[in-house]
Amino acid sequence: MTVDEDTSKELLWEMLRIQEFEDEIKSRFQAGDLPGFVHLDRGHEGNHAGMGLAMGDDDWLAVGGARLVGQYVAKGVPLGEIMAELYGKSTGSNKGYGGQMHVSNVERKLYGHAATIGSGQNPAVGLALAEDVKGTDNVAVTTIGDGGTSRGSFHTALVFAAYWNLPVVFVIENNQWAISTPSSDLAPDHLSDYGIPHKMHNESIDGSDVEAVYESVSGAIERARNGDGPSVIECNVVRLGPHFEGDKESYRDPEELEVAKEEKDPVKNHRERLLESGVVTEQEIEDRLETIREEVEESVDFAKNSDDPKPEDAYKNVYRLPLYGQEE
Amino acid sequence: MTREITYIEAIAEAISEEMERDEDVILFGEDVQEFGGNFGETAGLWETHGRDRVRNTPLSEIGIAGMALGAAVGGIRPVAELQFADFAATAGDEMFNQIPKQPYVSGGDLKAPLTIFAPSGAGVGAGAQHSQSVHSWIGNVPGWVVVTATTPYDAKGLFKSAIRDDNPVFFLPHKMLTEAKGEVPEEEYTLPLGEAAVEQEGDDVTVVATQLMFHRAREAAADLDVSVELVSPRTFAPLDTDTIAESVEKTGRLVVVDETVERYGTQGHIANEIVENNFFSLDAPPKTIGVKDVPIPVSPVLEQEVLPSADRIKAGIESVF
Repeated sequence: MTVDEDTSKELLWEMLRIQEFEDEIKSRFQAGDLPGFVHLDRGHEGNHAGMGLAMGDDDWLAVGGARLVGQYVAKGVPLGEIMAELYGKSTGSNKGYGGQMHVSNVERKLYGHAATIGSGQNPAVGLALAEDVKGTDNVAVTTIGDGGTSRGSFHTALVFAAYWNLPVVFVIENNQWAISTPSSDLAPDHLSDYGIPHKMHNESIDGSDVEAVYESVSGAIERARNGDGPSVIECNVVRLGPHFEGDKESYRDPEELEVAKEEKDPVKNHRERLLESGVVTEQEIEDRLETIREEVEESVDFAKNSDDPKPEDAYKNVYRLPLYGQEE
Repeated sequence: MTREITYIEAIAEAISEEMERDEDVILFGEDVQEFGGNFGETAGLWETHGRDRVRNTPLSEIGIAGMALGAAVGGIRPVAELQFADFAATAGDEMFNQIPKQPYVSGGDLKAPLTIFAPSGAGVGAGAQHSQSVHSWIGNVPGWVVVTATTPYDAKGLFKSAIRDDNPVFFLPHKMLTEAKGEVPEEEYTLPLGEAAVEQEGDDVTVVATQLMFHRAREAAADLDVSVELVSPRTFAPLDTDTIAESVEKTGRLVVVDETVERYGTQGHIANEIVENNFFSLDAPPKTIGVKDVPIPVSPVLEQEVLPSADRIKAGIESVF
């Protein structure tokens, strides 16, 4: 499979959208507007955009790892709903109950995220089971970072997916750091090797190459749709920013990071590639960026102008009431 | 019309009828096919409903519980078994962080209509890791509906409701009751979740008791000269405190017996609800009785020592007069 020019452009636009949106999130966080932690995606944009475009609207995404927001964007959640959720507003995707770690949107088949890293893969297998039982050809894509692959729950998910040959695509975003623990110290040559004992299709690719991600994930989805079972794809990327905003990154070599920023920035690389091949022009990119910036600005206005949840709403949604058999 | 069946037959019937009624109901767990579950609770179900709907899983509670969550969100109604309630701990993150919280953090959009059931309780000499009553662990996490059953009638009616409920439900049959027989209607019925039942009316003291302890409390009550009102909470979370409070309003005295350990057990929570909200109904301080604060030992002598006996319950009831 080769990536056609329209798809190539879409991939660039989506990466730029993620990047611009996240730059704004960073500013909002620094301004003290957002509660909690913020984990940003610099270096992962190619992975998120490539994966998002490879998926159909009716495929589930169960987000894992700590690089989240770009994945919500790639699954089609409107920026305003995400930004309002980051602000904890009542108009957020989760009405302010979830925040950055838990954006979900069932209508768009975004399952959401298990914030205890590594616990989202078994629910993804369950989502695939539900599709399988219903006889659809929809699949579940689930992401995890290199750190999360050390959890037993991740390995269990591989066992269960293989046991029933379920339509699941496990995407491992290996950005080389589980906060400060390097993935190079883990024993496997590639983290996708974890698929080998389960006789599962596995491959390790350059995740900073958005087209490679799009192609690999598309192939895995295709296999899953055709009943050919689960796949594990390791996408090697570099985390070009801190683990969370405020992380001093004392454990990293600043020179290596500078080299990575030159060589492994998926947005920059793809942009240059498309400019060189004449698929896009600088003007086209500028025009598109202007549109994106307007969308981002609107998302902030929407979030700022939205109401906070009412304090008494904290007690809603614990249970769906009445319980079965109870009178209303 | 009624007939007499065992508690475990009642459970198998409940699952089978719900699978028959609703094609979205899927059963999975370790050894649920030919083996039929450790106590016979899933015997024959795969023959009736097929291997696609009655599925054996590999040995991992993490997989079973985590997959149940995803399957429920994905639009089916999974009924998943853990072989022993103690094993809820081996799926700790799924049981404590994922299942009960995902519906809430989604702002109520995400629905997780799953049932996890697991035999609980002591008395069969199964030791410290196969004998615990864990409903205080799980009941401590808002989001779970925690249900138990004392009779075959309860077991069938409550299990059917658990499967139909749109919340995650943790259903706890008791191992020592599997062969207990009782009257169960021939015709279709369900029992409401979240509602306690006054099983025996009395005037002098309210005894709230569950599972095996309910039967021991009944035995103790029969041996006393006082008139005991016996209440089965049926659902631990959310707890129907109104029914218990009304009963205490009438009797003025409260004894709570349950198989969770006394330290931070359900007994203390139930008693506290009444002390805090209905203090002036009480003529005496409530008494709480549970498993002594030790792991469950194997030797029958040791095991029976730490479990509330009918005699201990009797003494407990006497102590509030």
